[in-house]
Amino acid sequence: MIFRPFLLNVNESNAFVLACEETQEALLVDIGHLDGHIEDFLHEQRLRLTTVFITHDHYDHTGGLRSATNHYDVHVLSGGAVGGAKARKVAHGDEVRVGKLTGRVLATPGHTNDSISLVFPGIVFTGDALFSGSIGGVSSPQSGKIEVDHIRRNIFTLPDDYEIHPGHGPASTVGIERHHNPFFV
Amino acid sequence: MTKSKHYAALPCRKTGCTAHALTESEYCWEHLGDRDAFVASLNPRDLVDAWLAGVDLSGRDLRGANMVGARLSGAKLAGADLRNADLRRTFLDGADLRGANLDEANLEFAVLGGADVSEASFNGANVQRANLVGTRGRRARFSKANLYYARPGNADFQEADFTGAHIERTIFRRANLAGACLAGTVGAANFENANLEGVKR
Repeated sequence: MIFRPFLLNVNESNAFVLACEETQEALLVDIGHLDGHIEDFLHEQRLRLTTVFITHDHYDHTGGLRSATNHYDVHVLSGGAVGGAKARKVAHGDEVRVGKLTGRVLATPGHTNDSISLVFPGIVFTGDALFSGSIGGVSSPQSGKIEVDHIRRNIFTLPDDYEIHPGHGPASTVGIERHHNPFFV
Repeated sequence: MTKSKHYAALPCRKTGCTAHALTESEYCWEHLGDRDAFVASLNPRDLVDAWLAGVDLSGRDLRGANMVGARLSGAKLAGADLRNADLRRTFLDGADLRGANLDEANLEFAVLGGADVSEASFNGANVQRANLVGTRGRRARFSKANLYYARPGNADFQEADFTGAHIERTIFRRANLAGACLAGTVGAANFENANLEGVKR
């Protein structure tokens, strides 16, 4: 697996490239802005960007989508209707393939109704549902309960050593968040 | 031999073991034969993206080490000298860093959640955006460190020294800062539900 995080200028959001070493196919998780560093990395590593995975439909995670779909022959996966003609809606349990790597979509609504996470062996992308020491902002107590319930059910049931890569801020692990996140303990 | 590394870690060769092999070895730390020889063989300047979970580097001279993106979860680094080390995006979750010296180290985006940094020194270090969730850091020293947007939620920093530290957007949510020194800090931090008893300002 090839993996590289990028800190973007748009609201300090994160974007991630995950790729299969064998086939050189690459997945981009969120794209608040098509940063030159991302393009350079794809070029230098000779990766072929095939998929953009959108964790939720907010500008700081989708702002570079049009540039990405114009520059690369990609299809767009999201939990809603993001990405126009190249879009495909995915839901909890759906598989996402990147070369020989297989990921799985996890439902993590609350921050937005379309919020989804994506887990590969050892690594999970949580968008704005779960951060290091925090959770995503919600519009109502009911949304907050939905968010917390889904994190407990779909993220905290992963092994403790799985890495969490959120939409903003530093990485974490399932163990750190399960044992120390102030919103859960 | 293909090298085990972070995000491409190979399984430990020990039958039945589910851990990953260390970089430069075919075994995990637990099943490594000659640990002293392994540690001696490491080049601290060339540990980018290394897989070193659980290794014992206590008391080692790691000044200026380059461990960018390495995974040292659960590593033993008590008393280690990590001054000026490059630890950007390094995973040190659950590591033992008691009394370690990380002055002027670069820990941007480092993961120190659940680690023990009690009495460790981070003076002048770059701790921007670091994960310090649940970190134990009694009497740790962060004088003039940059903690911009760091996340010490639920951390124990009793009697820690943050004199002159940059704490803009630092999230001390529910942290225990009893007796800590925040004199001369710069920036507005989030102290939601933090214990600020006896804090010196």
